[in-house]
Amino acid sequence: MNENLFASFITPMILGLPLVTLIVLFPSLLFPTSNRLVNNRFVSLQQWMLQLVSKQMMSIHNPKGQTWTLMLMSLILFIGSTNLLGLLPHSFTPTTQLSMNLGMAIPLWAGAVITGFRNKTKTSLAHFLPQGTPTPLIPMLVIIETISLFIQPMALAVRLTANITAGHLLIHLIGGATLALMSISATTALITFIILILLTILEFAVAMIQAYVFTLLVSLYLHDNT
Amino acid sequence: MLSRVVLSAAAAAAPSLKNAALLGPGVLQATRIFHTGQPSLAPVPPLPEHGGKVRFGLIPEEFFQFLYPKTGVTASCELQRKILKGPYVLGTGLILYLLSKEIYVITPETFSAISTIGFLVYIVKKYGASVGEFADKLNEQKIAQLEEVKQASIKQIQDAIDMEKSQQALVQKRHYLFDVQRNNIAMALEVTYRERLHRVYREVKNRLDYHISVQNMMRQKEQEHMINWVEKRVVQSISAQQEKETIAKCIADLKLLAKKAQAQPELGRQ
Repeated sequence: MNENLFASFITPMILGLPLVTLIVLFPSLLFPTSNRLVNNRFVSLQQWMLQLVSKQMMSIHNPKGQTWTLMLMSLILFIGSTNLLGLLPHSFTPTTQLSMNLGMAIPLWAGAVITGFRNKTKTSLAHFLPQGTPTPLIPMLVIIETISLFIQPMALAVRLTANITAGHLLIHLIGGATLALMSISATTALITFIILILLTILEFAVAMIQAYVFTLLVSLYLHDNT
Repeated sequence: MLSRVVLSAAAAAAPSLKNAALLGPGVLQATRIFHTGQPSLAPVPPLPEHGGKVRFGLIPEEFFQFLYPKTGVTASCELQRKILKGPYVLGTGLILYLLSKEIYVITPETFSAISTIGFLVYIVKKYGASVGEFADKLNEQKIAQLEEVKQASIKQIQDAIDMEKSQQALVQKRHYLFDVQRNNIAMALEVTYRERLHRVYREVKNRLDYHISVQNMMRQKEQEHMINWVEKRVVQSISAQQEKETIAKCIADLKLLAKKAQAQPELGRQ
Protein backbone atom coordinates (compact mmCIF):
# COMPACT_ATOMS: atom_id res chain seq x y z
CA MET A 1 0.00 0.00 0.00
CA ASN A 2 1.77 3.04 -1.16
CA GLU A 3 -1.14 5.26 -0.27
CA ASN A 4 -3.01 5.61 2.96
CA LEU A 5 -6.44 4.28 3.59
CA PHE A 6 -8.25 7.47 2.78
CA ALA A 7 -6.66 8.05 -0.58
CA SER A 8 -9.77 6.98 -2.41
CA PHE A 9 -11.80 9.65 -0.70
CA ILE A 10 -9.95 12.79 -1.75
CA THR A 11 -11.76 14.85 -4.36
CA PRO A 12 -10.18 14.04 -7.69
CA MET A 13 -8.34 16.77 -9.48
CA ILE A 14 -6.69 16.55 -12.82
CA LEU A 15 -3.89 19.01 -13.47
CA GLY A 16 -5.36 21.24 -10.79
CA LEU A 17 -8.80 21.27 -12.33
CA PRO A 18 -11.68 19.75 -10.46
CA LEU A 19 -12.64 16.48 -12.07
CA VAL A 20 -15.31 15.94 -9.47
CA THR A 21 -17.81 18.01 -11.45
CA LEU A 22 -17.59 15.60 -14.36
CA ILE A 23 -17.80 12.65 -12.02
CA VAL A 24 -20.96 14.02 -10.44
CA LEU A 25 -22.47 14.73 -13.84
CA PHE A 26 -21.48 11.37 -15.35
CA PRO A 27 -24.39 9.19 -14.07
CA SER A 28 -26.88 11.33 -15.96
CA LEU A 29 -25.37 9.95 -19.17
CA LEU A 30 -26.51 6.51 -18.12
CA PHE A 31 -30.18 7.42 -18.16
CA PRO A 32 -30.99 8.22 -21.79
CA THR A 33 -34.25 9.94 -22.68
CA SER A 34 -36.28 8.62 -25.53
CA ASN A 35 -39.46 9.86 -27.10
CA ARG A 36 -40.23 6.65 -28.96
CA LEU A 37 -43.03 4.30 -28.10
CA VAL A 38 -40.89 1.18 -28.44
CA ASN A 39 -37.37 1.66 -27.08
CA ASN A 40 -34.31 -0.48 -26.78
CA ARG A 41 -34.02 -2.84 -23.82
CA PHE A 42 -31.93 -0.46 -21.73
CA VAL A 43 -34.35 2.43 -21.92
CA SER A 44 -37.47 0.32 -21.52
CA LEU A 45 -36.05 -1.38 -18.43
CA GLN A 46 -35.17 1.98 -16.92
CA GLN A 47 -38.59 3.37 -17.69
CA TRP A 48 -40.28 0.32 -16.17
CA MET A 49 -38.16 0.55 -13.03
CA LEU A 50 -38.81 4.26 -12.69
CA GLN A 51 -42.51 3.74 -13.07
CA LEU A 52 -42.46 1.00 -10.42
CA VAL A 53 -40.50 3.09 -7.94
CA SER A 54 -42.51 6.25 -8.44
CA LYS A 55 -45.80 4.42 -8.06
CA GLN A 56 -44.62 2.71 -4.90
CA MET A 57 -43.19 5.82 -3.35
CA MET A 58 -45.56 8.58 -4.33
CA SER A 59 -48.89 6.83 -3.90
CA ILE A 60 -49.10 7.77 -0.23
CA HIS A 61 -49.04 11.48 -0.92
CA ASN A 62 -51.89 13.84 -1.70
CA PRO A 63 -51.71 15.80 -4.96
CA LYS A 64 -49.79 18.62 -3.30
CA GLY A 65 -47.13 16.18 -2.17
CA GLN A 66 -47.07 14.49 -5.56
CA THR A 67 -45.68 17.66 -7.11
CA TRP A 68 -42.39 16.55 -5.53
CA THR A 69 -42.29 13.37 -7.63
CA LEU A 70 -39.71 14.63 -10.12
CA MET A 71 -37.42 15.79 -7.34
CA LEU A 72 -37.61 12.56 -5.37
CA MET A 73 -37.22 10.33 -8.39
CA SER A 74 -34.14 12.21 -9.58
CA LEU A 75 -32.81 11.96 -6.04
CA ILE A 76 -33.14 8.21 -5.80
CA LEU A 77 -31.71 7.73 -9.28
CA PHE A 78 -28.74 9.97 -8.53
CA ILE A 79 -27.87 8.43 -5.20
CA GLY A 80 -28.40 4.89 -6.47
CA SER A 81 -26.30 5.34 -9.57
CA THR A 82 -23.46 7.18 -7.86
CA ASN A 83 -23.30 4.53 -5.13
CA LEU A 84 -23.28 1.68 -7.60
CA LEU A 85 -20.71 3.32 -9.85
CA GLY A 86 -18.52 3.89 -6.81
CA LEU A 87 -18.16 0.16 -6.32
CA LEU A 88 -16.16 -0.17 -9.50
CA PRO A 89 -12.42 -0.32 -8.92
CA HIS A 90 -10.52 2.94 -8.72
CA SER A 91 -13.64 5.07 -8.88
CA PHE A 92 -14.70 8.02 -6.81
CA THR A 93 -18.07 8.17 -5.07
CA PRO A 94 -19.41 11.70 -4.60
CA THR A 95 -21.76 10.54 -1.85
CA THR A 96 -18.85 9.78 0.43
CA GLN A 97 -18.33 13.50 0.84
CA LEU A 98 -20.32 14.95 3.71
CA SER A 99 -20.46 18.31 1.98
CA MET A 100 -22.39 16.83 -0.91
CA ASN A 101 -24.83 14.93 1.26
CA LEU A 102 -25.48 17.95 3.43
CA GLY A 103 -26.07 19.89 0.26
CA MET A 104 -28.73 17.36 -0.68
CA ALA A 105 -30.31 16.82 2.70
CA ILE A 106 -30.64 20.32 4.14
CA PRO A 107 -32.51 21.98 1.25
CA LEU A 108 -34.90 19.08 0.84
CA TRP A 109 -35.65 18.84 4.55
CA ALA A 110 -35.96 22.61 4.87
CA GLY A 111 -38.28 22.74 1.87
CA ALA A 112 -40.58 20.13 3.39
CA VAL A 113 -40.64 21.78 6.83
CA ILE A 114 -41.15 25.30 5.55
CA THR A 115 -43.97 24.11 3.25
CA GLY A 116 -45.58 22.55 6.28
CA PHE A 117 -45.21 25.69 8.38
CA ARG A 118 -46.54 27.96 5.67
CA ASN A 119 -49.56 25.96 4.62
CA LYS A 120 -50.55 23.99 7.67
CA THR A 121 -49.10 25.91 10.57
CA LYS A 122 -51.20 24.31 13.28
CA THR A 123 -50.57 20.75 12.15
CA SER A 124 -46.84 21.39 11.82
CA LEU A 125 -46.62 22.84 15.29
CA ALA A 126 -48.74 20.01 16.62
CA HIS A 127 -46.07 17.54 15.52
CA PHE A 128 -43.93 18.84 18.36
CA LEU A 129 -46.17 17.20 20.92
CA PRO A 130 -47.16 13.57 20.52
CA GLN A 131 -50.64 12.58 21.56
CA GLY A 132 -51.41 11.43 25.04
CA THR A 133 -48.44 12.77 26.96
CA PRO A 134 -48.90 13.42 30.65
CA THR A 135 -49.01 17.15 31.43
CA PRO A 136 -45.83 17.54 33.53
CA LEU A 137 -43.74 16.08 30.72
CA ILE A 138 -44.90 18.59 28.08
CA PRO A 139 -42.06 21.18 28.22
CA MET A 140 -39.47 18.43 28.24
CA LEU A 141 -41.08 16.73 25.30
CA VAL A 142 -41.38 19.90 23.23
CA ILE A 143 -37.65 20.52 23.62
CA ILE A 144 -36.87 16.93 22.69
CA GLU A 145 -39.12 17.05 19.64
CA THR A 146 -37.53 20.30 18.50
CA ILE A 147 -34.09 18.77 18.79
CA SER A 148 -35.23 15.70 16.89
CA LEU A 149 -36.67 17.91 14.16
CA PHE A 150 -33.46 19.85 13.69
CA ILE A 151 -31.37 16.73 13.75
CA GLN A 152 -33.24 15.25 10.79
CA PRO A 153 -31.14 16.81 8.00
CA MET A 154 -27.93 16.03 9.86
CA ALA A 155 -29.04 12.46 10.30
CA LEU A 156 -29.94 12.13 6.64
CA ALA A 157 -26.58 13.42 5.43
CA VAL A 158 -24.41 11.63 7.98
CA ARG A 159 -26.27 8.35 7.56
CA LEU A 160 -25.57 8.25 3.86
CA THR A 161 -21.98 9.41 4.18
CA ALA A 162 -21.14 7.01 6.97
CA ASN A 163 -22.69 3.97 5.31
CA ILE A 164 -21.01 4.41 1.97
CA THR A 165 -17.68 5.48 3.40
CA ALA A 166 -17.66 2.61 5.86
CA GLY A 167 -18.44 0.15 3.11
CA HIS A 168 -15.63 1.42 0.91
CA LEU A 169 -13.21 1.38 3.80
CA LEU A 170 -14.11 -2.19 4.74
CA ILE A 171 -13.63 -3.37 1.17
CA HIS A 172 -10.26 -1.66 1.07
CA LEU A 173 -9.17 -3.11 4.41
CA ILE A 174 -10.22 -6.64 3.68
CA GLY A 175 -8.59 -6.42 0.27
CA GLY A 176 -5.46 -5.31 2.02
CA ALA A 177 -5.76 -8.19 4.45
CA THR A 178 -6.08 -10.62 1.56
CA LEU A 179 -3.02 -9.12 -0.07
CA ALA A 180 -1.00 -9.35 3.15
CA LEU A 181 -2.11 -12.93 3.83
CA MET A 182 -1.25 -14.13 0.33
CA SER A 183 2.43 -14.50 1.16
CA ILE A 184 1.75 -15.99 4.64
CA SER A 185 -0.92 -18.60 4.12
CA ALA A 186 -2.88 -19.11 0.95
CA THR A 187 -5.94 -20.75 2.55
CA THR A 188 -6.52 -17.88 4.97
CA ALA A 189 -6.17 -15.54 2.03
CA LEU A 190 -8.81 -17.54 0.25
CA ILE A 191 -11.19 -17.31 3.21
CA THR A 192 -10.57 -13.60 3.37
CA PHE A 193 -11.23 -13.36 -0.31
CA ILE A 194 -14.56 -15.10 0.15
CA ILE A 195 -15.39 -12.62 2.89
CA LEU A 196 -14.53 -9.89 0.42
CA ILE A 197 -16.93 -11.34 -2.14
CA LEU A 198 -19.72 -11.45 0.43
CA LEU A 199 -18.95 -7.92 1.42
CA THR A 200 -19.12 -6.83 -2.19
CA ILE A 201 -22.58 -8.31 -2.48
CA LEU A 202 -23.56 -6.49 0.68
CA GLU A 203 -22.18 -3.25 -0.65
CA PHE A 204 -24.24 -3.53 -3.79
CA ALA A 205 -27.32 -3.99 -1.69
CA VAL A 206 -26.35 -1.16 0.65
CA ALA A 207 -25.80 1.17 -2.28
CA MET A 208 -29.35 0.73 -3.45
CA ILE A 209 -30.86 0.57 -0.01
CA GLN A 210 -29.26 3.82 1.10
CA ALA A 211 -30.66 5.58 -1.91
CA TYR A 212 -34.05 4.20 -1.10
CA VAL A 213 -33.85 5.13 2.55
CA PHE A 214 -32.78 8.68 1.84
CA THR A 215 -35.60 9.25 -0.58
CA LEU A 216 -38.10 7.50 1.63
CA LEU A 217 -37.28 9.66 4.59
CA VAL A 218 -37.54 12.83 2.59
CA SER A 219 -40.86 11.65 1.30
CA LEU A 220 -41.94 10.92 4.85
CA TYR A 221 -41.04 14.41 5.98
CA LEU A 222 -43.01 15.65 3.01
CA HIS A 223 -46.01 13.55 3.93
CA ASP A 224 -46.06 15.01 7.40
CA ASN A 225 -45.98 18.49 6.07
CA THR A 226 -48.48 18.50 3.17
CA MET B 1 -75.25 4.96 -47.55
CA LEU B 2 -72.41 5.94 -45.25
CA SER B 3 -69.88 5.57 -48.05
CA ARG B 4 -71.83 8.00 -50.17
CA VAL B 5 -71.76 10.60 -47.39
CA VAL B 6 -68.00 10.23 -46.97
CA LEU B 7 -67.44 10.41 -50.69
CA SER B 8 -69.43 13.59 -51.01
CA ALA B 9 -67.58 15.13 -48.06
CA ALA B 10 -64.21 14.21 -49.58
CA ALA B 11 -65.25 15.64 -52.92
CA ALA B 12 -66.30 18.87 -51.23
CA ALA B 13 -63.05 19.18 -49.28
CA ALA B 14 -60.59 18.48 -52.07
CA PRO B 15 -61.94 18.95 -55.58
CA SER B 16 -58.85 17.32 -57.05
CA LEU B 17 -59.85 14.09 -55.42
CA LYS B 18 -63.20 13.94 -57.16
CA ASN B 19 -61.75 11.61 -59.73
CA ALA B 20 -60.40 9.37 -57.04
CA ALA B 21 -63.73 9.28 -55.28
CA LEU B 22 -64.60 6.09 -57.06
CA LEU B 23 -61.79 4.30 -55.18
CA GLY B 24 -63.31 5.14 -51.85
CA PRO B 25 -62.16 6.88 -48.68
CA GLY B 26 -59.24 4.49 -48.17
CA VAL B 27 -57.25 6.18 -50.90
CA LEU B 28 -57.88 9.55 -49.24
CA GLN B 29 -56.10 8.31 -46.12
CA ALA B 30 -53.27 6.70 -48.04
CA THR B 31 -52.38 9.80 -50.04
CA ARG B 32 -52.06 12.05 -47.00
CA ILE B 33 -48.50 13.35 -46.88
CA PHE B 34 -46.42 13.16 -43.70
CA HIS B 35 -43.09 14.78 -42.87
CA THR B 36 -43.66 17.89 -44.92
CA GLY B 37 -40.88 19.62 -42.97
CA GLN B 38 -37.19 19.16 -43.49
CA PRO B 39 -36.59 15.43 -43.32
CA SER B 40 -33.74 15.36 -40.82
CA LEU B 41 -34.74 12.22 -38.98
CA ALA B 42 -36.72 10.29 -41.55
CA PRO B 43 -36.31 7.93 -43.29
CA VAL B 44 -34.15 6.23 -40.65
CA PRO B 45 -31.59 3.82 -42.12
CA PRO B 46 -32.13 0.29 -40.87
CA LEU B 47 -30.18 -0.45 -37.67
CA PRO B 48 -28.33 -3.74 -37.31
CA GLU B 49 -30.06 -6.26 -35.12
CA HIS B 50 -27.06 -7.48 -33.11
CA GLY B 51 -23.96 -5.61 -32.04
CA GLY B 52 -20.50 -6.48 -33.29
CA LYS B 53 -19.02 -9.70 -31.97
CA VAL B 54 -16.62 -9.22 -29.04
CA ARG B 55 -14.34 -11.50 -27.07
CA PHE B 56 -14.18 -11.14 -23.28
CA GLY B 57 -16.85 -8.47 -23.60
CA LEU B 58 -14.23 -5.87 -24.45
CA ILE B 59 -12.15 -6.70 -27.51
CA PRO B 60 -13.89 -6.74 -30.88
CA GLU B 61 -13.34 -9.57 -33.32
CA GLU B 62 -11.96 -7.13 -35.83
CA PHE B 63 -8.85 -6.71 -33.67
CA PHE B 64 -8.01 -10.38 -34.11
CA GLN B 65 -8.57 -10.12 -37.84
CA PHE B 66 -6.48 -6.95 -37.84
CA LEU B 67 -3.47 -8.70 -36.33
CA TYR B 68 -3.76 -11.78 -38.53
CA PRO B 69 -1.54 -10.48 -41.37
CA LYS B 70 1.25 -9.70 -38.91
CA THR B 71 1.02 -12.63 -36.48
CA GLY B 72 -0.40 -15.46 -38.58
CA VAL B 73 -2.09 -18.60 -37.30
CA THR B 74 -1.01 -21.61 -35.31
CA ALA B 75 -2.18 -25.08 -36.29
CA SER B 76 -3.35 -27.20 -33.44
CA CYS B 77 -2.33 -30.79 -34.29
CA GLU B 78 -5.22 -32.71 -32.72
CA LEU B 79 -7.90 -30.40 -33.96
CA GLN B 80 -6.31 -29.73 -37.37
CA ARG B 81 -7.64 -26.22 -37.18
CA LYS B 82 -5.92 -22.90 -37.50
CA ILE B 83 -6.35 -20.71 -34.44
CA LEU B 84 -5.57 -17.01 -34.32
CA LYS B 85 -3.18 -16.81 -31.40
CA GLY B 86 -1.49 -13.50 -32.04
CA PRO B 87 -3.68 -11.22 -29.94
CA TYR B 88 -3.63 -13.67 -27.03
CA VAL B 89 0.13 -13.63 -26.93
CA LEU B 90 0.09 -9.87 -27.18
CA GLY B 91 -2.40 -9.63 -24.33
CA THR B 92 -0.49 -12.02 -22.07
CA GLY B 93 2.78 -10.29 -22.73
CA LEU B 94 1.28 -6.89 -22.02
CA ILE B 95 -0.22 -8.00 -18.70
CA LEU B 96 3.00 -9.66 -17.58
CA TYR B 97 4.99 -6.57 -18.56
CA LEU B 98 2.69 -4.29 -16.56
CA LEU B 99 2.84 -6.55 -13.53
CA SER B 100 6.57 -7.23 -13.54
CA LYS B 101 7.55 -3.62 -13.98
CA GLU B 102 5.02 -2.61 -11.33
CA ILE B 103 3.38 -0.24 -13.74
CA TYR B 104 0.20 -1.83 -12.51
CA VAL B 105 0.62 -2.22 -8.76
CA ILE B 106 -1.24 -4.93 -6.88
CA THR B 107 -3.05 -3.04 -4.16
CA PRO B 108 -6.01 -3.95 -1.96
CA GLU B 109 -8.04 -2.37 -4.68
CA THR B 110 -6.98 -5.17 -6.99
CA PHE B 111 -8.77 -7.71 -4.86
CA SER B 112 -11.84 -5.57 -4.54
CA ALA B 113 -11.74 -5.13 -8.32
CA ILE B 114 -11.52 -8.89 -8.79
CA SER B 115 -14.42 -9.54 -6.47
CA THR B 116 -16.58 -6.72 -7.90
CA ILE B 117 -15.94 -7.56 -11.54
CA GLY B 118 -16.33 -11.27 -10.83
CA PHE B 119 -19.64 -10.64 -9.12
CA LEU B 120 -20.88 -8.47 -11.97
CA VAL B 121 -19.85 -10.97 -14.64
CA TYR B 122 -21.59 -13.74 -12.72
CA ILE B 123 -24.80 -11.70 -12.44
CA VAL B 124 -24.78 -10.77 -16.12
CA LYS B 125 -24.11 -14.31 -17.29
CA LYS B 126 -26.82 -15.74 -15.09
CA TYR B 127 -29.61 -13.20 -15.43
CA GLY B 128 -28.73 -11.41 -18.63
CA ALA B 129 -30.94 -13.35 -21.00
CA SER B 130 -33.99 -13.35 -18.75
CA VAL B 131 -33.75 -9.61 -18.13
CA GLY B 132 -33.49 -9.05 -21.87
CA GLU B 133 -36.55 -11.17 -22.45
CA PHE B 134 -38.39 -9.27 -19.77
CA ALA B 135 -37.58 -5.97 -21.47
CA ASP B 136 -38.75 -7.40 -24.80
CA LYS B 137 -41.93 -8.57 -23.16
CA LEU B 138 -42.61 -5.08 -21.81
CA ASN B 139 -42.37 -3.59 -25.26
CA GLU B 140 -44.40 -6.40 -26.72
CA GLN B 141 -47.16 -5.80 -24.21
CA LYS B 142 -47.24 -2.13 -25.09
CA ILE B 143 -47.52 -2.88 -28.78
CA ALA B 144 -50.07 -5.64 -28.21
CA GLN B 145 -52.29 -3.27 -26.29
CA LEU B 146 -52.26 -0.71 -29.07
CA GLU B 147 -52.69 -3.42 -31.68
CA GLU B 148 -55.72 -4.64 -29.80
CA VAL B 149 -57.23 -1.18 -29.87
CA LYS B 150 -56.52 -0.94 -33.57
CA GLN B 151 -58.04 -4.36 -34.23
CA ALA B 152 -61.10 -3.52 -32.18
CA SER B 153 -61.55 -0.33 -34.15
CA ILE B 154 -61.13 -2.17 -37.44
CA LYS B 155 -63.58 -4.82 -36.34
CA GLN B 156 -66.09 -2.19 -35.32
CA ILE B 157 -65.86 -0.51 -38.68
CA GLN B 158 -66.09 -3.88 -40.44
CA ASP B 159 -69.23 -4.68 -38.48
CA ALA B 160 -70.69 -1.32 -39.45
CA ILE B 161 -69.87 -2.05 -43.09
CA ASP B 162 -71.51 -5.45 -42.90
CA MET B 163 -74.60 -4.03 -41.29
CA GLU B 164 -74.76 -1.34 -43.95
CA LYS B 165 -74.48 -3.99 -46.67
CA SER B 166 -77.21 -6.08 -45.11
CA GLN B 167 -79.42 -3.01 -44.86
CA GLN B 168 -78.84 -2.33 -48.53
CA ALA B 169 -79.68 -5.94 -49.36
CA LEU B 170 -82.85 -5.63 -47.36
CA VAL B 171 -83.79 -2.57 -49.35
CA GLN B 172 -83.56 -4.68 -52.50
CA LYS B 173 -86.08 -7.09 -51.08
CA ARG B 174 -88.61 -4.50 -50.08
CA HIS B 175 -90.76 -5.16 -53.17
CA TYR B 176 -91.95 -8.42 -51.65
CA LEU B 177 -93.44 -6.48 -48.83
CA PHE B 178 -95.13 -4.12 -51.22
CA ASP B 179 -96.54 -7.01 -53.28
CA VAL B 180 -98.03 -8.59 -50.21
CA GLN B 181 -99.55 -5.31 -49.13
CA ARG B 182 -100.92 -4.75 -52.61
CA ASN B 183 -102.49 -8.22 -52.58
CA ASN B 184 -104.00 -7.60 -49.20
CA ILE B 185 -105.53 -4.36 -50.33
CA ALA B 186 -106.88 -5.94 -53.50
CA MET B 187 -108.48 -8.68 -51.49
CA ALA B 188 -110.00 -6.23 -49.08
CA LEU B 189 -111.40 -4.23 -51.95
CA GLU B 190 -112.81 -7.38 -53.52
CA VAL B 191 -114.43 -8.39 -50.27
CA THR B 192 -116.00 -4.99 -49.81
CA TYR B 193 -117.26 -5.01 -53.36
CA ARG B 194 -118.88 -8.40 -52.96
CA GLU B 195 -120.38 -7.49 -49.67
CA ARG B 196 -121.96 -4.42 -51.15
CA LEU B 197 -123.20 -6.42 -54.11
CA HIS B 198 -124.85 -8.85 -51.74
CA ARG B 199 -126.42 -6.02 -49.86
CA VAL B 200 -127.80 -4.53 -53.02
CA TYR B 201 -129.26 -7.90 -53.93
CA ARG B 202 -130.83 -8.24 -50.52
CA GLU B 203 -132.36 -4.79 -50.62
CA VAL B 204 -133.79 -5.32 -54.07
CA LYS B 205 -135.21 -8.67 -53.02
CA ASN B 206 -136.77 -7.02 -50.00
CA ARG B 207 -138.50 -4.48 -52.16
CA LEU B 208 -139.75 -7.13 -54.54
CA ASP B 209 -140.93 -9.36 -51.71
CA TYR B 210 -142.78 -6.44 -50.33
CA HIS B 211 -144.60 -5.91 -53.60
CA ILE B 212 -145.41 -9.60 -53.87
CA SER B 213 -146.73 -9.79 -50.36
CA VAL B 214 -148.79 -6.68 -50.99
CA GLN B 215 -150.23 -8.34 -54.07
CA ASN B 216 -150.95 -11.57 -52.20
CA MET B 217 -152.60 -9.76 -49.45
CA MET B 218 -154.70 -7.81 -51.87
CA ARG B 219 -155.82 -10.98 -53.59
CA GLN B 220 -156.56 -12.66 -50.29
CA LYS B 221 -158.51 -9.72 -49.14
CA GLU B 222 -160.41 -9.64 -52.41
CA GLN B 223 -161.16 -13.33 -52.11
CA GLU B 224 -162.38 -13.01 -48.61
CA HIS B 225 -164.43 -10.05 -49.47
CA MET B 226 -165.88 -11.83 -52.44
CA ILE B 227 -166.72 -14.92 -50.38
CA ASN B 228 -168.24 -12.83 -47.69
CA TRP B 229 -170.24 -10.93 -50.24
CA VAL B 230 -171.37 -14.10 -51.94
CA GLU B 231 -172.34 -15.67 -48.64
CA LYS B 232 -174.15 -12.63 -47.57
CA ARG B 233 -176.04 -12.47 -50.77
CA VAL B 234 -176.83 -16.14 -50.63
CA VAL B 235 -177.97 -15.88 -47.11
CA GLN B 236 -179.96 -12.88 -48.03
CA SER B 237 -181.41 -14.69 -50.97
CA ILE B 238 -182.64 -17.53 -48.87
CA SER B 239 -186.03 -16.41 -47.75
CA ALA B 240 -187.61 -17.56 -44.53
CA GLN B 241 -189.99 -19.90 -46.14
CA GLN B 242 -187.42 -21.51 -48.29
CA GLU B 243 -185.45 -22.03 -45.20
CA LYS B 244 -188.23 -23.86 -43.46
CA GLU B 245 -188.94 -26.02 -46.49
CA THR B 246 -185.32 -26.90 -46.75
CA ILE B 247 -185.03 -27.77 -43.11
CA ALA B 248 -188.20 -29.94 -43.29
CA LYS B 249 -186.83 -31.74 -46.32
CA CYS B 250 -183.57 -32.29 -44.57
CA ILE B 251 -185.35 -33.76 -41.58
CA ALA B 252 -187.37 -36.05 -43.81
CA ASP B 253 -184.22 -37.16 -45.60
CA LEU B 254 -182.55 -37.79 -42.32
CA LYS B 255 -185.44 -39.90 -41.08
CA LEU B 256 -185.31 -41.90 -44.24
CA LEU B 257 -181.67 -42.37 -43.88
CA ALA B 258 -182.09 -43.38 -40.29
CA LYS B 259 -184.50 -46.02 -41.23
CA LYS B 260 -182.18 -47.28 -43.87
CA ALA B 261 -179.45 -47.29 -41.45
CA GLN B 262 -181.46 -49.27 -38.93
CA ALA B 263 -182.38 -51.75 -41.60
CA GLN B 264 -178.82 -52.19 -42.79
CA PRO B 265 -177.29 -53.30 -39.52
CA GLU B 266 -180.07 -55.88 -38.95
CA LEU B 267 -179.26 -57.25 -42.32
CA GLY B 268 -175.71 -57.16 -41.47
CA ARG B 269 -176.19 -58.92 -38.13
CA GLN B 270 -178.03 -61.64 -39.78
